[in-house]
Amino acid sequence: MERELSEELSSYVELLTEKNMKDGMNETDARRAALVEVGGVEQVKEEVRASRTGFSLETFLMDLRYGMRSLLKKPGFTLTAVIALALGIGANTAIFSVINGVLLRSLSYADPEKLVMVWEHNLQENDRQNVVSPGNFLDWSSQSKSFEQMAAFVSRPTNLTGGREPEEIRVQLVSQGFFPALGVQPMLGRAFTPEEDRIGNDLVVILSHALWQNRFGASPQILGQTVTMNGRQRTVIGVMPPGFHFLDDKVLAWMPMAMDPAINYREVGGRYLQVMARLKPGVTIEQAQAEMTGIGKQIEQAHPKFNAGWNVALLPMHEQVVGEIKPILIVLFAAVAFVLLIACANVANLLLSRAAARQKELALRAALGASRTRLVRQMLTESVLLATMGGLLGVILAYWGIQLLIGFGPDNIPRLNEITIDPRVLGFTLAVSLFTGLLFGLIPALQASRPDLNDALKEGSRGSTGGRSRTLRNVFVIAEVSIALVLLIGAGLMIRSFMQLQSVETGFRPENVLTMRVQLPRTKYKEPHQIVDFFKQAQDRIAAVPGVQAIGAISYLPLTGPAARDAFKIVGQPEPAPGQENPTEVRVITPTYFQAMGIPLLKGRLLDERDGKEPRVLLINETLARKYFPNDDPIGKRIEVTWGEGGPDEIVGVVGDIKEGALDKEPEAAVYWPHSREPYSGMALIVRTAGDAARFGAAVQKEIRGLDPDQPIADLRTMKQVISKSIARPRFNTLLLTIFAGVALVLASVGLYGVMNYSATQRTHEVGIRMALGATRADIMRLVVGNGMLLTLVGIGIGVVASWGLTRVMQSFLFGVGATDAVTFIAVSGLLILVALVANYIPARKATRVNPVIALRYE
Amino acid sequence: MSAHEDDSKADLLQGTLDLLVLKALSAQPLHGLGVSNRISQITKGTFDVKPGSLFPALHRMAEAGWLKAEWGESENKRRAKYYSLTKAGRRQLETETEDWQRISMAMTSALRAT
Repeated sequence: MERELSEELSSYVELLTEKNMKDGMNETDARRAALVEVGGVEQVKEEVRASRTGFSLETFLMDLRYGMRSLLKKPGFTLTAVIALALGIGANTAIFSVINGVLLRSLSYADPEKLVMVWEHNLQENDRQNVVSPGNFLDWSSQSKSFEQMAAFVSRPTNLTGGREPEEIRVQLVSQGFFPALGVQPMLGRAFTPEEDRIGNDLVVILSHALWQNRFGASPQILGQTVTMNGRQRTVIGVMPPGFHFLDDKVLAWMPMAMDPAINYREVGGRYLQVMARLKPGVTIEQAQAEMTGIGKQIEQAHPKFNAGWNVALLPMHEQVVGEIKPILIVLFAAVAFVLLIACANVANLLLSRAAARQKELALRAALGASRTRLVRQMLTESVLLATMGGLLGVILAYWGIQLLIGFGPDNIPRLNEITIDPRVLGFTLAVSLFTGLLFGLIPALQASRPDLNDALKEGSRGSTGGRSRTLRNVFVIAEVSIALVLLIGAGLMIRSFMQLQSVETGFRPENVLTMRVQLPRTKYKEPHQIVDFFKQAQDRIAAVPGVQAIGAISYLPLTGPAARDAFKIVGQPEPAPGQENPTEVRVITPTYFQAMGIPLLKGRLLDERDGKEPRVLLINETLARKYFPNDDPIGKRIEVTWGEGGPDEIVGVVGDIKEGALDKEPEAAVYWPHSREPYSGMALIVRTAGDAARFGAAVQKEIRGLDPDQPIADLRTMKQVISKSIARPRFNTLLLTIFAGVALVLASVGLYGVMNYSATQRTHEVGIRMALGATRADIMRLVVGNGMLLTLVGIGIGVVASWGLTRVMQSFLFGVGATDAVTFIAVSGLLILVALVANYIPARKATRVNPVIALRYE
Repeated sequence: MSAHEDDSKADLLQGTLDLLVLKALSAQPLHGLGVSNRISQITKGTFDVKPGSLFPALHRMAEAGWLKAEWGESENKRRAKYYSLTKAGRRQLETETEDWQRISMAMTSALRAT
């Protein structure tokens, strides 16, 4: 372009020189005259450059300077727009960074897409993620050919003693393929050898970086030292790099699982392992699944008693980690996109009003020869500039927002700690900013760049922007209101659902209850009676603490995860076919558990100290009684749980149902066994106190220490805290959606106010005339408010219809409330109408204050 | 435009220059000097368009799609860029001519009024 211009100019000089010579000059004079005429090649070039309207850096910079100046001239407008955009862009950046960290970034293992989870598939309940029997795992790994490695792992609480205070930590027991399958090496030392996965060689441990730092002072001499875990000495052979964890980020150490292939695990225990595997190169997950289904069928035939109705299900690791969180993230992302749309509509309206005020300026520039594209470009530069400023502020907001998210986020959101603002997030923000700049800038720019020169330049013109612009503004307001309504209804549904969740009948009295877990090491408490005695003495000691009203213990605290499950049959009824057994939860308790927890006895009697090994008795819950003894009195009936070896148990009492797995899950059939017969080494203690339960923590801990100074306690908290934590995720989702809906409401009402205020100002003259003709203030009020409320109602109408369709995707997050819950729809619409009334009332009141004399004189 | 050595030669309003360029090119394609000469000729020497305003106008109008430019050879076998009117250029010439006539009539009658 530049070269061609030079060429064109020199050709001009040549041609002119020739012409001059033809006119009689000599060559030197002719050339000099020609050059004089051109008057400086560079200046001409500059002029040509300036006249081009296509993209050039100079014009862009000029537009930028001009845009900056004109934005600074109206700080109120600029601030409002930038804040609205920053809210929208910031919310989008924050949620995108979560999506980026949780969903998009690949897992931090070697070739993570080759990793799969291998679960047992419970065909009867169609549960594709059932934990795995060790016996089945051993068969799978020896028979399958699709995998490079297959490894089993399970998290276990473990007591760490020696040196400092005894401490209970979580440890992952892992079989030998574990570290090779993940492709991760320890930072110090080495991973387990296959030999160390055998009983006798297994007294080794690999520490997490966090444990190494916090408990062992990051000592480089740690390798080869021994640590005492569950009373046994283990040699430290490695330290993992910081941040390494697999599925369970509370795990602080790894130990070999050391399974014994000689044991028939299908006889001695149930299903409790997790299994993962690495696919061989070139093997797809479908091929692996096909192979495993075949193996599963063979094992089913070989061990029908244990495996009837069971097969194998594979799941990609990424799905396993994020599958559950994905739907709500998508809903949240949609919510913030809506917030951004509202912000855009808001700023577009601001720009429209501003363009109206700038109409003379634009008309003048058009009259002086600025083309329409030139004007549109200038205005788009301004709006992109606005959006970029909003984007910058938005990134700062997002940074704070992410800190808040990580701080307040429930700890069961996977990978939450991996969330950062990385280049991909920044790229996203930049793209969103540019896009929003064009989105909200284009319509006002097109609108304003087509001024009616005659009208705009006329002396005394009020600069009103005809009907077209007003229609546009109204459309934007309607859009804002309807989008805000969708968000508000979404948030309203979440709030209603959360309230339902909180008011769920738990079946027990959580007030003033303190809980903690005590896990006795089997190496120290080898004999069952030692365990029984420990808990008996602990209960007696704690019961003697002043203010303690009752104390009991249970194998698994309600609302903290799945309990043990097994099948049972009713004595005297035909045996169910294999795979068709009746399932029940099995809970092991001390007799006083029910008083401590506040669970009512419905029928029969509770257990007491005399109920031990014989005669065999148990309690059942209401659900089991209702489901399996619908017409009979269950008391005195006998049932046989598969896992108990000593024959059937007599039902001596029926206790009330409680929420066991989660507040939003219906209670399942359950039996209660006395601890004296099934002495679990780890129990949760339940202490009912007079007054604030949290104050009793130290006293209870002192009693346990008094019994065994090496015995730590874990998870010391009140039952209220347990319940609150169990609904941390819905609370978090509700909170986020409510914040976004709140922002949407504020933006939409500011937008409504802005438009109403503007139109009221525009109509000062008209109002003056009406008042001069006898209209009362009430009439004027009705006129202005009515106008705004009409827009609001249209917006609400559209919003209700849109919500009707959109909130259905939220059904799976809702509890006890339908996705089209009429109460929510009506209440939220009412709220929006109320807010809109206020937003309309203020400008309307201003309009009624018009003094007709002044309004009419003002010409 | 810089000060003129010749006072009788009028300054050109931008709109007027565009119209003159369009008019000059309406008969045949011309190179830059040709346009300048042609304008001087049809305005009987009243307007003398210098390169400093001519080339910006030509480029701007080419960009607006009114003119197209091609390299060609002059009568003396010199390489030169030739400009010609596009369809949009012809339409533009028509509308600008009408506009101009309206304004000029209005101005004339305004000045005649007493």
